[in-house]
Amino acid sequence: MFLRPTAVLGVCAIAVTLLAPVQSVGADPDTIVFGSPVSLTGNLAKEGHLTQEGYEFWKNYINAHGGLKVGGKTYKVDIKYYDDESKNDSSAQLAERLIDQDHVNFLLGPYGSGTSFTVAQMAERKKVPMVEGNGAAEKIFNQGFKYTFGVLSPARRYLEGVLEMAKAQKPAAQTVAITAASDAFSQEVAQGAANWAQAHGMKVVYNNKYPDTATDVSSVISALKATNPDLVLNAGHVQDALLVQKGLKDQNVQAKGYGYTVGPDTPDFANSLGKDANDVFGAAQWSDAVKYHAAAGFYRSAKDYAEAFQAVYHHRADYHNAESSAACLAFQYAIEKAGSLDPEKVRDALVNLDVVTFYGILKFDSRGLNVYKPMVVNQIQNGTLVTVWPAGLAEAKVIWPTPPWGKR
Amino acid sequence: MIARALRGLGLGGITGNPVAIAVVLVLMALLLAVPATHNDYLTLVFRQILMYAAMAYGWNLIGGYTGYVSFGNVTFFGLGAYCSGVLSTHGVDNLFADIALAVVVNAAFAVLMGIPVLRLRGPYFGIATLGIGVAVAEIVANFDALGGSSGLAVHQVDEAHFSIYYYAMWLVALVSILGTFVIARSKLGYAFVAIRENEDAAAALGISATRYKITAWALGAMMAGAAGAIFAPANGFIDPSITFATDSNVFPIVMTILGGIGTVAGPFIGALLLAGVNELLQRYFVNAHTLFFGSMIVLVVLLLPRGLVWLFGLRGGVRGWLRSVAAYRA
Amino acid sequence: MELWAQDLVNGILAGGILALVAVGFSLVWGIMNIINLAHGAFVMLGAYVTYELFTALHLDPFLSLPISFIALFVLGYAIQRWLINWVVRAPILTTFLLTFGLSLLIVNIAQIIWTGDRRGVETWYAGANFSLGAVTVPWVKLLTLIAALAITGILQLWLTRSKTGRAIRATSMDIGAAQLAGVRVSQIYAIVFGLGAGLAGVAGTLIALSSSISPTMGDPFLISAFAVCVLGGLGSVQGALIGGLTYGIIQQTVAARLEVTIGTQQISGSGLEDAIAFIVLLLVLIVRPTGILGRATA
Repeated sequence: MFLRPTAVLGVCAIAVTLLAPVQSVGADPDTIVFGSPVSLTGNLAKEGHLTQEGYEFWKNYINAHGGLKVGGKTYKVDIKYYDDESKNDSSAQLAERLIDQDHVNFLLGPYGSGTSFTVAQMAERKKVPMVEGNGAAEKIFNQGFKYTFGVLSPARRYLEGVLEMAKAQKPAAQTVAITAASDAFSQEVAQGAANWAQAHGMKVVYNNKYPDTATDVSSVISALKATNPDLVLNAGHVQDALLVQKGLKDQNVQAKGYGYTVGPDTPDFANSLGKDANDVFGAAQWSDAVKYHAAAGFYRSAKDYAEAFQAVYHHRADYHNAESSAACLAFQYAIEKAGSLDPEKVRDALVNLDVVTFYGILKFDSRGLNVYKPMVVNQIQNGTLVTVWPAGLAEAKVIWPTPPWGKR
Repeated sequence: MIARALRGLGLGGITGNPVAIAVVLVLMALLLAVPATHNDYLTLVFRQILMYAAMAYGWNLIGGYTGYVSFGNVTFFGLGAYCSGVLSTHGVDNLFADIALAVVVNAAFAVLMGIPVLRLRGPYFGIATLGIGVAVAEIVANFDALGGSSGLAVHQVDEAHFSIYYYAMWLVALVSILGTFVIARSKLGYAFVAIRENEDAAAALGISATRYKITAWALGAMMAGAAGAIFAPANGFIDPSITFATDSNVFPIVMTILGGIGTVAGPFIGALLLAGVNELLQRYFVNAHTLFFGSMIVLVVLLLPRGLVWLFGLRGGVRGWLRSVAAYRA
Repeated sequence: MELWAQDLVNGILAGGILALVAVGFSLVWGIMNIINLAHGAFVMLGAYVTYELFTALHLDPFLSLPISFIALFVLGYAIQRWLINWVVRAPILTTFLLTFGLSLLIVNIAQIIWTGDRRGVETWYAGANFSLGAVTVPWVKLLTLIAALAITGILQLWLTRSKTGRAIRATSMDIGAAQLAGVRVSQIYAIVFGLGAGLAGVAGTLIALSSSISPTMGDPFLISAFAVCVLGGLGSVQGALIGGLTYGIIQQTVAARLEVTIGTQQISGSGLEDAIAFIVLLLVLIVRPTGILGRATA
């Protein structure tokens, strides 16, 4: 008979626990707290972890080097994470929790464009500055948000470098086939690539999409094969890059070059495909070959960053790590310049930011997007990722045209 | 003693345990006070709970009372959200208009889809509704006018008036609860249950099964649609992956089962419990919350196979509970 | 014309694996009235078993088929016998909820063990293909199809000829009569569930040859399994096969070739693959409410 009252009490207890105001975690006056909802589980778990690594790497460097100096006082840095499980629908809630419950000073972006949009919306409402390095869809920046800044080059630029490079080779690529996943990021990349190709006299012979949860893209590949393209481009994430590359070999598609977004830069791509990953081009936001002379306060060059990163995380620093650290750097320089933690002052400092870092120039246009940093093109040569474009940064010669399958 | 008093008021039987219903109403009254705390985060948490509750009630009508397990009720939520989105794109930012349009569109859609699909039984009906959800989500993702896969920004009211979304959601949830109560005790409710227990016998008794099934589905669709219409401006951004999310599909079902299918109190209690526990787990166990969540669900199913509301009416104390747990063994 | 032929081939090859994933799911649903939401997780585990064997012992994936079957069979048997069995006679939604919780658990434990890294199994014969006229046929996908057909064939034979198989079919038809005939129902249920898991594991092994491996890889296959087993008829092995092949063919042919312009909106079928497949499913169900080969009694 005691079970019924227990049930009543249990239900009420849960309701009350939710209502009870949670003690803010460490309203520590000497720590600057950043908040970030990243995908630690789910489909984008790998990419989310790469993002987190980039943030943590920066945080540990700063704390080891005396912290951030703001207006005469030195602060330690802390980052609070929540897991959005690779789902867009919980991002708003997580961002709100970070702002209202955990009282974070600033927000660091999640991985992915959909989640970045939702969090940006929350940042705008609450007037909390947010810098992100992993949501490249321009849609985010066309909303007139004043509190969101993106350090990465916009989505439409991703494959432009590959196209430019392919056009400059001998024999030049003249026909292009584009496949893309159906999510916002991939669609913007594909659109940008198609526009650039057409504007520069290349013929787009195939341009189609597949659902981003597809398990078999054979027909897309057969149709693509029938158009006999010189250059095959794929806009998507790691999962589909792997699917497409395997499919291309399965159906014996012989093009002069193959270019992907996201995939080739991650270690997973080469590890999963072995020799079949060779000679594939990857569009990258950054590589350790870029030759920027960075301002003081963090690693002074891409090589320094890459070496230090490898020592800690035991894998090559890929551009997701770099752009995440860069997002933190934007805050670092903005906060130090503003000399204050006041959100408005930091926001203004971000608007006027103009600094060269290991990652590239950090400067935002009027919408908050970093259109000033160029993309690079990497190529997997003999299992190693090397930068091949722009020519000024090339570590190795471009392998073109790609040898037939089995001979790479 | 309370139970007897409530039964005198006509609560009990088809509506489920009366004490549970009373508890739900008391909690709902308490929830009115949440925006007054000026804690935006808490308001968001409870607004989500109320949203899931409304969706759960919508599912409960067709899945719980009528016995037609639908795996596609998220379609109504999503359509409701897109109603708000489309209106917003065309400059109409009135919440009432959003809800009204969502209710009408979803009722029509449910009737339209219901005619062919409600002829199917059991698992076939379930998969057909799943298919509708998948198809609608993909179709929406392909129409640029609806934002395609990159979604739509939806106009939000300013910060000072933001609590309107909370009160609207609360109202929708209340209407769903009271609506279910009224429907359950009316001719509709008994027809639904008759269809659930033995559809052919019910038809032989002259109950027009098709008409009642479609009514159940349409009423449920309106509840979910209204919730979606409020969610869209409250969230500020919608895209197919947010509005047709698997979670939005599965959670209301899970909540109703956990709370107690085919009762008036079940969906609310399930929503509070599940969303509340999920929230607490996420807060305190960043890295392992899904692990605990999954374990909790497994434990609850094993220990309370009939749902939480059933626990309110349990007789025989611990031994009675153990006996009922063993009743489902092979 | 040649493109259609290639698409058809692609569809059949894709359909084989969908059928294999669906067959275990369909058996458990049809015989035990349990919707096993953890089925996708079992597929994923089968893939990881193959991955571990390949990386540690260089064991060819095809040779690991029996191992992943046995491993997942044991796991499935244990889960049913000591967990699901407590509520196996409960309404279908109760077990639905239980398997929902289980799938969350299994996927997250996998995430902890293997992290979200995407892994692959790269054999020396990966991507090898041959040409039949204008149609290119990848060897791995063809072998996968043959394996899927063989496995479903063996399964069907075992269900109809062996003593245990007949006991299983008896249980699904009439539990009371089966018990009177001396069948131990709890044992049968455990075997069936184990069988479903084992089949999922085998499917996972074959999938690992063509797709990348990650903790969430099973999700899209679970959705298609729902459609396939209903399309073909619940509880029927041949139904799962026909349903899988049909689903695969629809996705790769009609869906990939469709091009429609509505007003200014251009719609291509390749972004609507799942939608079109499900619409076809709906149409089939309207004409035949219990699936292509389904039983008349729901």
